[in-house]
Amino acid sequence: MKLAIAGKGGSGKTSISGTMARLLAREGHSVLAIDGDSNPNLALTLGIPPDGMSDMPTLSRDLLKRTPEGAHLVKPLEEICDSHSLVGPDGVRLLVMAHPQHAGTG
Amino acid sequence: MIEAAGNAPEEVCILDTEASPEHLSRGTARYADAMLCVVEPYYKSLETGRRMAALAEDLGLARVALVANKIRDERELEAVREFADRHGLAIAGVVPFDERLPEAERAEAAPLDFAPDAPAVAAIAALAREMAGSNGAAEASGS
Repeated sequence: MKLAIAGKGGSGKTSISGTMARLLAREGHSVLAIDGDSNPNLALTLGIPPDGMSDMPTLSRDLLKRTPEGAHLVKPLEEICDSHSLVGPDGVRLLVMAHPQHAGTG
Repeated sequence: MIEAAGNAPEEVCILDTEASPEHLSRGTARYADAMLCVVEPYYKSLETGRRMAALAEDLGLARVALVANKIRDERELEAVREFADRHGLAIAGVVPFDERLPEAERAEAAPLDFAPDAPAVAAIAALAREMAGSNGAAEASGS
């Protein structure tokens, strides 16, 4: 199941995303949580401490190759997950799309 | 990226999307089976949810539904229900207003760790079961 959670800023979508991810993991599903917000804070609601995030390398544009058909990853997702994601409580794997502290790289 | 994530080995992939609806017009959620639009019981939030739901339906997602969040009383729930009915939208879950969630945030802790017995957490658990049970594609029309 691929589930997108949307909503206005402050609507509580991140609390719902993070809590659902943890609960589904506890029920025995393997769970990948992706923070697609340009102001990412899914880690907190997953129970990953903020200092645990600072070591994580930024997903850079080099990982995407643009062609007339669209954008493609230059590496398999598994490989990107190995180097760009971390595993939090209950085994939820977190992948963060953007890091706002690096201005001008988006 | 989102497309590739759909092929990830994990059984469940949860994408917390950008707060602005703009990304949806670029097709970011095209590869999802389902989209939940989290709304609070006031007009601007409901209207944002409706716009996002319409874009998700345009993308052809099998299931699109609202989640009513921070609901304080029956009157607020009725406002969301009325809005959903008027726009032909399903409501997949109702999460009550719960002071424990902002408290968890202030404590820099996950709601599940800080307040595992909070009513809002129980409501999110029911929503998770509902979504995992329907598996996104099974109930195209929602509940």
